[in-house]
Amino acid sequence: MKWYEYADSDRPGVISSRVRLVRNLDHCVFPAKLSAKENEEMIRRLEYGLQDIGSVDGRNYQFSMLQDMSDLERKSLRERHVFNSTIASRKTPVGLILSDTEDCGIILGGTDHIRIQLLSSGLCLEKLWADCDKMDDYIGERFPYAFDEKYGYLTSFPTNVGTGLRASVTIHLPNLSKGKKFSGLTAEMGRFGAKVRGIYGEGNENYGSLYEVSNQKTLGLTEKEILDLVNRLALQLLSQENQVRKLALEKHRLECEDEAYKSYGVLKYARRLSSRDAMVFLSQLMQGIHDNILVMEEPCPVYRLMLGIQPANLQKDSSRPLSKEELDVERAAYIRAALPDLKQ
Amino acid sequence: MLCERCKIREANIQYTEVVGGVKTEHHFCAQCAKELDFGPYSAIFDTDFPLGKLLSGLLGVMGSDEQEEQETPQIICPTCKTSYEEFIKDSRFGCPDCYGVFDLLITENIKQLQGSDTHKGKRPHGLQKIKPVPVVVSAQGGENPSGTDADQIQSFERRLKEALRLEDYETAAHCRDEIRRLREGSASE
Repeated sequence: MKWYEYADSDRPGVISSRVRLVRNLDHCVFPAKLSAKENEEMIRRLEYGLQDIGSVDGRNYQFSMLQDMSDLERKSLRERHVFNSTIASRKTPVGLILSDTEDCGIILGGTDHIRIQLLSSGLCLEKLWADCDKMDDYIGERFPYAFDEKYGYLTSFPTNVGTGLRASVTIHLPNLSKGKKFSGLTAEMGRFGAKVRGIYGEGNENYGSLYEVSNQKTLGLTEKEILDLVNRLALQLLSQENQVRKLALEKHRLECEDEAYKSYGVLKYARRLSSRDAMVFLSQLMQGIHDNILVMEEPCPVYRLMLGIQPANLQKDSSRPLSKEELDVERAAYIRAALPDLKQ
Repeated sequence: MLCERCKIREANIQYTEVVGGVKTEHHFCAQCAKELDFGPYSAIFDTDFPLGKLLSGLLGVMGSDEQEEQETPQIICPTCKTSYEEFIKDSRFGCPDCYGVFDLLITENIKQLQGSDTHKGKRPHGLQKIKPVPVVVSAQGGENPSGTDADQIQSFERRLKEALRLEDYETAAHCRDEIRRLREGSASE
């Protein structure tokens, strides 16, 4: 099973945790300054040296090159957060070492020589860091890293220098984000050295109410301090979200129930769903399950559906290219098939 | 640390002077540094810190036109040929050596961006925190440590170079650690 197929029932507001570490090889120019051929040689050397990487954590790893994949495959991996759009659109060779559960991915030759990323559902930054730390030691023993006494681990961008660590937690904030004070609240996070950004949506609009909390600074803090900061702020936002929700349930129970059941009804029976509408209804469904208003026959990992309805992921299961309208039909069918029945 | 000249402002420029093999370190604030004569390097401070433009997008500060028109010093990293101007434009380094080459120019901005300019976190496995090693002057009559340690360091340095040429990073790491160990040993003696 892939990591996103599990849903954390203890803390339903938390979608996922992620740690990402960037490292560069000592005495080697950063990827942007290497030619395509030099990049490929560097990646091959790394791949050769890391053949037994599975021995670190017992996971099964696949080695591949991004340029050997179809455009669709690359896009669908980006939608599933294996790498970001900067890496997906790189013209020079990029290597990928990915576990079969997609929770651990190592990018070779992206913006930095090595980018290690671990993902998991639920709130578990410490556990992810422990695994990432081991992986980092393993690679570092084989390939000496560029390290400076003053600046720490040296990276392409000064925004990653020092620890090279970005820790993030994705949380569901449907109530808090509706409030007028939300933009002030997210701005305030900056004062604590964290950033909050909406995951889906364009401009100021957000579909699905999923937000990612991550550290802004990578230098001058220990890894533990970074993890604690992100953990604390994510929990802080969640506790405020829960307070607002509790109030809404107390005062407007009927409206809350109505919204949850209507969302379920639309998702269960609609014949066409745009990406935006599907995300909004899935977010309301998630809330309904969280509040115990909607009780399903089987566990329903809503986040898996949110990833599954993204364009490239829908498209990749089809034998022919789909138009926008056909994608909307496909999206509705995908959700209908995956949504369990309600308990009577 | 306060500026050693005015003793009022925070020192954000570290100036290392090596005269006749003797290394002295000075700490100045940007304003005092501008007023002092650093020979060919004075140009760095003439432009009211061209760093204002550096990472401008990230810091949300736009440099004025006047600043842009002024000449910026041409400093180029010898390893990857990234110029300082190119670094400002892309906000990205070309290689690990850029950090050393642009150190004096970037330290203040890194501090602004990151809130610190000193790493506190993890270190590569097996790399011990090293104390600054006293300057080793190889000229005659200098403080060159004689004896087996120095010979060994030289031998490891040769092996390190060779290993790097052959891209044998495992041996290179071993040599690097040995050199550090030996230097630390001679430093504490």
